[in-house]
Amino acid sequence: MISTDTTSAVRVGGLTVRHRRTVALDGVDLDFRPGVHGLLGPNGAGKTSLIRVLATVARADGGRVELLGHDLSGHRELAAARRRLGYLPQDFGYYPGFTVREFVAYVAWLKEMPGARAGAAVERAVARVGLADRIDAKVKTLSGGMVRRVGIAQAIVNDPAVLLLDEPTAGLDPEQRVEFRSLLRELGSQATVIVSTHLVEDVAAACTEVTLIESGRVAYRGTPASLAELGAQADGAGIGGNSIERGYTIALRAHRAGTASTAGVRR
Amino acid sequence: MTWKAERPGDRGRDHARQAWHVDAAMSARYADGSLPEPDAWSLEKHVEACARCAAAVSEAVRTTQGPAAVLAEVRASVLRAIVETEPAGAAGQHQDPSATLPRRLARALWAAGPALRGPWVIALLLVCAAAVGLAYGAGFNGARPVLLLLAPVLPLTGVALSYGPHADRLYEISASTPSGGLRLLLTRTAAVLGVSLPLLTTVGAVLPGPAGVPGAGAWLLPGLALTLGALALSSYLGCRTATGVVAAGWTFAVLLPVLASRGAGGDGSGILPMTALAEQLAQYLSGAPAQGGWALAGALCAGLLALRRHSFDISPGTGQGSRLDPRENL
Repeated sequence: MISTDTTSAVRVGGLTVRHRRTVALDGVDLDFRPGVHGLLGPNGAGKTSLIRVLATVARADGGRVELLGHDLSGHRELAAARRRLGYLPQDFGYYPGFTVREFVAYVAWLKEMPGARAGAAVERAVARVGLADRIDAKVKTLSGGMVRRVGIAQAIVNDPAVLLLDEPTAGLDPEQRVEFRSLLRELGSQATVIVSTHLVEDVAAACTEVTLIESGRVAYRGTPASLAELGAQADGAGIGGNSIERGYTIALRAHRAGTASTAGVRR
Repeated sequence: MTWKAERPGDRGRDHARQAWHVDAAMSARYADGSLPEPDAWSLEKHVEACARCAAAVSEAVRTTQGPAAVLAEVRASVLRAIVETEPAGAAGQHQDPSATLPRRLARALWAAGPALRGPWVIALLLVCAAAVGLAYGAGFNGARPVLLLLAPVLPLTGVALSYGPHADRLYEISASTPSGGLRLLLTRTAAVLGVSLPLLTTVGAVLPGPAGVPGAGAWLLPGLALTLGALALSSYLGCRTATGVVAAGWTFAVLLPVLASRGAGGDGSGILPMTALAEQLAQYLSGAPAQGGWALAGALCAGLLALRRHSFDISPGTGQGSRLDPRENL
């Protein structure tokens, strides 16, 4: 156990993940409380690696992970944490013959939800993503944006305490993104929601906290407001975009400047 | 009976200041339902504030049969209603009027694994059809030995196509669920075996069996042992590599001696000498010692699998980490 403090649903310490020779995460220390946490960063920064480790799909090469007070060292603890986990991968497949209801019900079965409760939970999850009228349609007949919403439905079917969403707004049209952000805020009132995204406006509209990751390290932690404040200070510095986008750029550049000197000693 | 109208503010008062208390006779009449309704309301109101009377009344209700029987009946009818609207089994799926039995069966097979809906089933049926066709259409008397050679490989291929990041589209999601590890692998392996064992054995029994060729059922124990061996090995190597290694191991173990005998001037008829193949298979499959050996090997593999069961969980905790890419690591 890292700590008996249970207010942080997700805690990682010294987390290191390597893919062959490249370092995806380099000794990351983070903790997440209930709320909506935006995970920002350039492509290849390590966002997906972090989410896959937290989703218990990928193994860490070093460091510690604690989910919902479970340190995940044993089979029972891992299973207990997984029952309260929701995960939307960046890319996910489905069996083309399944309807929306069957797909979400199958994931509910994998999550060991009691059969009597699962039927209603499936309908509720599908309704929450706005697909109630398509619940008996085959997944393969749906558009890309709808398939992504089915993916969100399977992630929330068990009312997860920790919800991990990797690029959930990719493929959604602007109206769907607005609806999705209000769903995110609703989910964040109960659960710890971690959303990786490359859309800064997702963060501004839906997140309570922001974590900026760059080259496998935490470059910035704060709130959307503090990031916007950082951007406001740089008015006229020749950086385009709105204040949050400028804040993002400034935080990233400051981090790069700070780590450039130590880059040589990294494994 | 006099009853002072109680205001909400009276709730927390000491029960000694209440105007009256529930006596035993009243408790009993309340419990069996014979107390007039206004008196029952009064009693219910009173016990909200008076712990002593609440205890007495609940004791009377507990010991009276009437309400208990009513409760039991209500419980039974509620459970019945739930069972009727929520069919057990298939993850609590609602009754769908369009869900006829064949469709439900198809969905169950679908969920049982990707292998059972794809080319694997077609390959299995083709092997069976080809064996029967060659034996009876072309008069080929080596059909059963060839089938016995292929039979253990087919379930292994099915397992390889059922589980893992390369085979299962849903793997990335299922790997994050509590059932997505060994439990799912075993469910799908059982589905593969449930289809392939009866089918291949039945076809083997239909084929003509020349003297010296092992019986149609002789491959069952070896097939099971090899599958268990592949599962145990997959805890180290991943499902795809492990099944490949075991399938290749069996094929070479049978074919290499056969081909060597041909090279050494055996009967030399055709590409694959059928008599040598039958002899080699008989050596591996026929007789109690051979079958006993397979049973022992199967039990050992099952034991190893049980010991290694937790290696199917990907734990992000401390540890050496994987040498493989995470996506390839089971």
